[in-house]
Amino acid sequence: MKTDTFWRHATLWPALVLFALLTILPLIKLLALSFHDVEWINREAVWDWVGLANYARLPQDNLLRAGALNTLIFAVVAVALQMLIGFILALLTTRVVRGRVFYRTVFILPILVPGIIIGAIWKLMYSYDFGVLNSLLLWLGLAPQDWLGNPDLALLSVIVVDVWHWTPFCFLLLLAGLESLPDDIFEAAKIDGASRWQQLRHITLPLMLPTIAVTFVFRMILAFKVFDEIYLLTGGGPGTSTEVISFTIYRRFFTEDQTGYGAAMSIAVIAVIAAGIIAATRATAGKGAKA
Amino acid sequence: MTYQSRMTATLAASALALSASLAAAEEAPITIVINQSPWFPGFQAVVEAYEDETGNTVELDVNPFAGSLEKQRTAVRADESPFDILIMNAGFFVEFYTGGFIAPLQEIDASFELSDDIYTFDDSTCWNAEAKTITCDGGDLLSVPVNPNVLILHYRQDLYDEAGLSVPKTWDELYENAKTLQTDRRYGISQRGQRGTFDVTYDVFPYIWSHGGGIVDQQDDGSFQVSINSEGTLAGMETYLKLANDVGHPSTAGQTQTNVIQNMATGRAAHINSVPAPGLFDDESKSMVVGQVAYAPPPGTAEIPSATPLGHWLAGVPKNISDDNKQAALAFLSWFQTDAAQRAYAEAGSMPVSRAVLESEMADQPEYRWMKAMAEALPNARLTFTFPEATQVLAITELRLNQAIGGEMPLKEALNTAAEEITKVMQDAGYDIPAPELLQ
Repeated sequence: MKTDTFWRHATLWPALVLFALLTILPLIKLLALSFHDVEWINREAVWDWVGLANYARLPQDNLLRAGALNTLIFAVVAVALQMLIGFILALLTTRVVRGRVFYRTVFILPILVPGIIIGAIWKLMYSYDFGVLNSLLLWLGLAPQDWLGNPDLALLSVIVVDVWHWTPFCFLLLLAGLESLPDDIFEAAKIDGASRWQQLRHITLPLMLPTIAVTFVFRMILAFKVFDEIYLLTGGGPGTSTEVISFTIYRRFFTEDQTGYGAAMSIAVIAVIAAGIIAATRATAGKGAKA
Repeated sequence: MTYQSRMTATLAASALALSASLAAAEEAPITIVINQSPWFPGFQAVVEAYEDETGNTVELDVNPFAGSLEKQRTAVRADESPFDILIMNAGFFVEFYTGGFIAPLQEIDASFELSDDIYTFDDSTCWNAEAKTITCDGGDLLSVPVNPNVLILHYRQDLYDEAGLSVPKTWDELYENAKTLQTDRRYGISQRGQRGTFDVTYDVFPYIWSHGGGIVDQQDDGSFQVSINSEGTLAGMETYLKLANDVGHPSTAGQTQTNVIQNMATGRAAHINSVPAPGLFDDESKSMVVGQVAYAPPPGTAEIPSATPLGHWLAGVPKNISDDNKQAALAFLSWFQTDAAQRAYAEAGSMPVSRAVLESEMADQPEYRWMKAMAEALPNARLTFTFPEATQVLAITELRLNQAIGGEMPLKEALNTAAEEITKVMQDAGYDIPAPELLQ
């Protein structure tokens, strides 16, 4: 028995070592970097110890503040819409007996399109001068809109793209969850005279809660890391209207070459996301147990 | 012929061709890291001409603007650079010079010299490491210019002829012309106001310089002064906004260089200030205004004539490559500055860096009509940023100027905020710069 346990652990060690090499060590390096400023003199990197100075700069960074707020709005609104639409589509799909594969294939198509193509497609659609959306508005006799150049519209426009892109992810996971629910409970509920709404409210939703929670957490993590859609559609502008945290980190770390400060920003964001995941996991674990 | 004999003949022919090409190539293969710009197709064509003529191999690593900068940084900081030539932008080359990453060209070959015909663009080809100054007086030759890239005014000659307009020398004249040519389907002017890496900041320089303003000015004693919230900059930006709001694109804050060029190519704009892409506007497959775009230096004011920012590109050889590759890189740069190569470059639709070619008989031919405007604009062209912290300053100006253009922040507040933020960046970097006096 002891040998068995030993081998079970031993088989995990190579993966653990690989994980440590690829994840933990870079993270430690990032942490070390966050306490320094790096300057290049005569092809040599000179690390100046600055203690917590890089972290102290974070609250004063206007761009980071705007990025944090936009990221929060983006993540909450986009993920809420994706969960809602994904759940409705999954529910409708489970009710289809013939042709379910067809609907499933159609609904997941957007997730298969590479980000760069999504950027190109939507940038063209949103174009003020040549976009299909403004052509449609003009055809209807309405004024064209500056979808990506108007600070009041730009974030909403990017959210629409994200919802279009990522709703299939929610749809797939929620559909898998719905298809795994036991039929006998629903049969019993029908015999007891429960309406569809009552079945949804008192059986489907409680049973689906763990799946909904996992889907929600996964999507929130991905939404907090949004980068490609912003980079391709707006570059964070106009002004700070679509600035998001990952883009701020990219600017500070890569474009501006403030590696120490960018590292501090990265560590702070990792800490906040990790805390969020732990809190969400604990909350859903409790709910799951109750359900 | 049997299958075996066909195979033998094919292999023999391939071997012959391979040995012929190996014999022709005198230099090691090199890789150039470059960005995707409107002038890139011309550069690509001239590289192909070099390969055909010499048998040497040149690979091009093509990237977006910011991506190219990141790749160059990573390359020069590694033990060995995967790139043998870096195509550095005027906004960022100083950080490569100050970091000691670029090999002095005369250390690779003592006999190498920049041709007298090649522009040095405010001595940006040279660096005096001791004095930490951009100067060819006592400085080492570190780079060869590959593209002049200055903003010049593009206007629709056919519309000008129709309306009887003359080429504007001042912003006020441009405003009046743009107003005359503006229709429901055509913007008087299209400006590049989007926030990017070096987008809106580059676009506003002709306006603010010709009103006596600036962003960060280097003084005669080598010190720096933040001037982004000066009266001159304010006046320049007010002129920019007047054009944008009255006769410009409704989405100026969202316009990239690509958008601006598209607007001209599709006949949606009567004027643009842009880096020239002459090959594009005269290409029937890409343009609706073939032969109708004319060129002039950007306007100025009655007091200060046209001034255009140098957004030129410089080719440098990193120190961390082999001696053979340094020689091969220099061989390409030597060839590139010849008169024949510069003419081929112009013929391929890009702007040469040779004064002799710009002022040659080519400039009288209709397809090269942009040359005279370039030759006229270049003597007044100026370097934009001459310190290694340029990327941090640009991050500030791109944001604040875009906010002012997009209406997210009042102009004076945007300029004052930018001045305070730039001062902080410069002070943190060790420059002795006083706190800015704020605009009221």
